[in-house]
Amino acid sequence: MAPVIDAHELGIRFDRNRRRRRGGRRLKDALTGRTPPPTKNKSKDFWALRDITFSVDPGEAVGLVGANGQGKSTLLKLIAGVLLPDEGRVSVQGGVAPLIEVTGGFVGSLTARDNIWLTGGLHGLSKQEIEERFDEIVDFAEVGDFLDTPFRHFSSGMKVRLGFSVITTLDEPIVLVDEVLAVGDRAFREKCYGRMSELLSGGRTLFLVSHSEADLRRFCKRGLYLNEGRLVTDGPLDDALEQYNSDASKRRR
Amino acid sequence: MWSRRRILQLLITRDLKVKYAGSVLGYFWSVLEPLMLAGIYWVVFTKLMRRQVGEEPYIVFLLAAMLPWQWANASLRASMRALSKDAKLVRSTSLPREIWVLRTVGSRMMEFLFSLPVLAAFAIATGAHLTWYAIFFPLAMVLQMLLLLGLGLLLAPVAVLYSDVERLITVLLRLLFYFSPILYGVHDISNRLGSTIAKLYILNPFAGILDLYRTAFFAEEWAGWGAVAVSAAISLLLLAIGVRVFRRLEGAVLKEI
Repeated sequence: MAPVIDAHELGIRFDRNRRRRRGGRRLKDALTGRTPPPTKNKSKDFWALRDITFSVDPGEAVGLVGANGQGKSTLLKLIAGVLLPDEGRVSVQGGVAPLIEVTGGFVGSLTARDNIWLTGGLHGLSKQEIEERFDEIVDFAEVGDFLDTPFRHFSSGMKVRLGFSVITTLDEPIVLVDEVLAVGDRAFREKCYGRMSELLSGGRTLFLVSHSEADLRRFCKRGLYLNEGRLVTDGPLDDALEQYNSDASKRRR
Repeated sequence: MWSRRRILQLLITRDLKVKYAGSVLGYFWSVLEPLMLAGIYWVVFTKLMRRQVGEEPYIVFLLAAMLPWQWANASLRASMRALSKDAKLVRSTSLPREIWVLRTVGSRMMEFLFSLPVLAAFAIATGAHLTWYAIFFPLAMVLQMLLLLGLGLLLAPVAVLYSDVERLITVLLRLLFYFSPILYGVHDISNRLGSTIAKLYILNPFAGILDLYRTAFFAEEWAGWGAVAVSAAISLLLLAIGVRVFRRLEGAVLKEI
């Protein structure tokens, strides 16, 4: 079977000195070709990910492990196509349902109802498809009483529930899940587990980022372990977790 | 991009809904600005000073270029925020990113279309004659669309990466207003400043386009197809540059927003 995700020598670089948001590079520097004076950091760029090569077959569930800041979320974003690699390539067959930023593409000033329509539409659902699924989305997210409340007034739990509900209703063959399960309460988490099992048995491909070993073991047989932007382990989940745990305990010492 | 037109339609409809949320009053606000500007210039040039450029009825002369200019001005300003304003949406969908610029220019075009009844009303009230050149109105719109997309694709990523750009462009747009045939016509330039200056003048791609809109009412003063051809050529060139720059900077922009 042809892989649904195929990453080849994937790499992405960030500028360490770049201030995020509003800051911006000086136009003057760009025009004069002058680089800004170096700060204390030795190198200006750092590779958040480099030389990442792997492929995922349809229906696989892959757990991504690694400490904070080792590139897990960046990798998911590259797969989702919302970041572009500086090196290598990643090809994805079919669409991706990204649960990356917990609240995804929801707009704070719009009501829950409008947000469902907007997000559904942006991910390619037709009017009729959204109409058909609308009640199911609302029921699952348990936000029936707040459909006309602006999204920004939602509690963080409600936001996550709605996000999870909309995104997992999409027909996309690949589902990316980044730490979403950590936020919901216990009852909702159980529901999410159920939904994810459904997706998996329906032949979807699952890519799961989590710090919870229990969650990972529940769904994934295969594990990828990222450390300092490199893919250290690609194999059975147990191997990836073992490597991760031994590195973590080394660091603690 | 064609396969995403439904999504584009969704985004534009949402923009308009937000804009016209207060229905009648919402519409009023969106035409207020060009109307007010036109009103001010009309008072200044016909009541306070003796108008030496343009044609009678001067208010129609003004509006016929002011309304398209409003579309251009609003589009270019909004293009600079097309990627950062809805950063969350941009970051969470893998749509071709050009769509965010297309949406910005497109929803401003819809507002322009909605403002045309104002022009019609003034034309009727002042008894301005519609000429058969009015059939070129859609052509002027197509050219303007291409020009605004080119500039928008160029500005959108650059404005995210370089923070000074937005201020610089805001100033340049103000200058461009006076350097474009809005308060006066292209033929005023050749009449008063000579044909050499006029030839340089039509290198401003807005010149040929705004002039073409005006032929709908003022065909005798039209500078001719030459300026339109120059506008079309420059617009296509800018579009080609815009598409390339956008592609090149896309990756860097996505890291930034």
